[in-house]
Amino acid sequence: MIEAYPFLAPDFQSKEPKELSLLSIVSQSFFQPFSVDDNLLVIMTALTSGSGVGFNRAMLFRADGDKLRGGKWLGPRSPEEARMIWEVLSTPGLGYLEIIEHNRWLLSRDADAMTGKIAPLEFSLARDNLTIPVTAVAKNELLLVREASREPLVDPRFLQAIGVDEFLCVPLLAQGEVLGEIVLDNAFSRKRIEPKDVKLAGLCGLMAANYIYTATLHQRMVEMERMAALGEMAMFITHQIRNPLTAMGGFTDQLLNAPADEAKRRRNLEIIRREIRRLENVVYELAHFLKVDPSRRPEPFDLKRELRAVLQEMEPRAAAEGREIRADIDDLLPPVLGDPIAVGEVLRNLIVNAFEASPAGSRIEVAAERRDAAWVSVSVKDAGHGISPEARARLFSPFFTTKERGMGLGLLYVKRVMDACGGTIEVESEAGRGTTFRLAFRSREEGRAEA
Amino acid sequence: MKRILIVEDEEALCLLYEEELSGEGYDVTTARDAEQALEILKGERFDLIVTDIRMPGRDGVELITQIMGLRKEIPIVINTAYQSYRDDFMTWAADAYVIKSSSLDELKARIRELLAR
Repeated sequence: MIEAYPFLAPDFQSKEPKELSLLSIVSQSFFQPFSVDDNLLVIMTALTSGSGVGFNRAMLFRADGDKLRGGKWLGPRSPEEARMIWEVLSTPGLGYLEIIEHNRWLLSRDADAMTGKIAPLEFSLARDNLTIPVTAVAKNELLLVREASREPLVDPRFLQAIGVDEFLCVPLLAQGEVLGEIVLDNAFSRKRIEPKDVKLAGLCGLMAANYIYTATLHQRMVEMERMAALGEMAMFITHQIRNPLTAMGGFTDQLLNAPADEAKRRRNLEIIRREIRRLENVVYELAHFLKVDPSRRPEPFDLKRELRAVLQEMEPRAAAEGREIRADIDDLLPPVLGDPIAVGEVLRNLIVNAFEASPAGSRIEVAAERRDAAWVSVSVKDAGHGISPEARARLFSPFFTTKERGMGLGLLYVKRVMDACGGTIEVESEAGRGTTFRLAFRSREEGRAEA
Repeated sequence: MKRILIVEDEEALCLLYEEELSGEGYDVTTARDAEQALEILKGERFDLIVTDIRMPGRDGVELITQIMGLRKEIPIVINTAYQSYRDDFMTWAADAYVIKSSSLDELKARIRELLAR
């Protein structure tokens, strides 16, 4: 017998034991499409919400070089506010999106007096003269402090900011690297922090550290990919610029260094003119290409409208060059996620390519349909002679073009735009039967469901 | 008269090299890609080969390897827009590495040197 179970839903009012629901919220917050800071705040909410460990307040410090700096402080400012927040957090059906909005609101009120108190705090991570809160990260230990005002090892500035006598320091470390620290207290309930609370908070700390670490690695990887792409670009541009310059220089020198008849002068000038146009084209395409910003957040937009606009724009050319465009666009297409201007460019790119690949008198087919709840697909089919397997393997590499004067940037641009909006591109090609490019966009609905 | 084979896919550059090197007193033949170059080399003898690296079809690095196998004694000049291939050990087999520029002086000087050897 086989039974399938879904993962435990991250539910802030779960009927499950609070330890289980807390771990579920924390671990699944890693997969939410929000920023590292927002996700860390969700973890802090879980630590402070009634159904979680139930601490009153959570304070976050982040490591910055050799310093530990005050970051965010989440929690109520008064017992009344505490009741109000707990009420909000116990609304049935509360999801990550609502929690994140709630947190943003918490941090924005009165320019957040609490965060204002800890933001100026900064402690050296150097090993000598360790004071609390740094001791916890320096020694990688959970430190429960009671009667803090009598404890000489507690930093007086910190004590003044937190204003309570009992608190728990949870270090955030990964691979021996200090990432930050969370400090928890029960400022309003005055409830004593019990060993089981410490254990659970410690577990959450480990997961939070893991999350920060993974997020940082991911960020570094994206950065490295960008650098590698830049290097490749630089090499490509070099080639695209040096060739025309060599021709222009050479034919100019011919005219300068030796007498030439009228025909030769004219020929040289025409070559030089052509190469200048080519350089201009390089600059144009490049400026265009560099406009795609992969870090830009995709927004929902009307794909139908973009597609119709591009098709309309292509109509005169289709008529003039004797090719038919048949469009089959689903009227009920949901909005998709992406950068509308870049996606418009992508569609134009693919349709122009299809045009150039197809013989006069042939037909290009463009279709857009909803594939399922999560994806919308757009396909562009040409009537060309297909792409060889060797060419297909290099289709998206920057140097590759089959056109006489192509930059070889078009499909790379398409790929970059699709990557940036979380979509995909596939190619189907059969010798003699044309080529189909199939784009898949994430539909807006799915973006919602995730949130 | 010394014979030079130019392998270059850019039409304008082919014409330029042909005219300029003929003006220097060489007998110049041009090939637009590696395949064509290998075909020509089967039937003719040259004193020097000038080749680009990135071209449609088989690329220049591969061409050099093949030519090295075919005619070990012919000096080869790599003439390319890319600086980075200088680090590719396959290109060390060439006798000179000239980066394309708006002046042909360096290319002409290297060719003169190699043919004077």
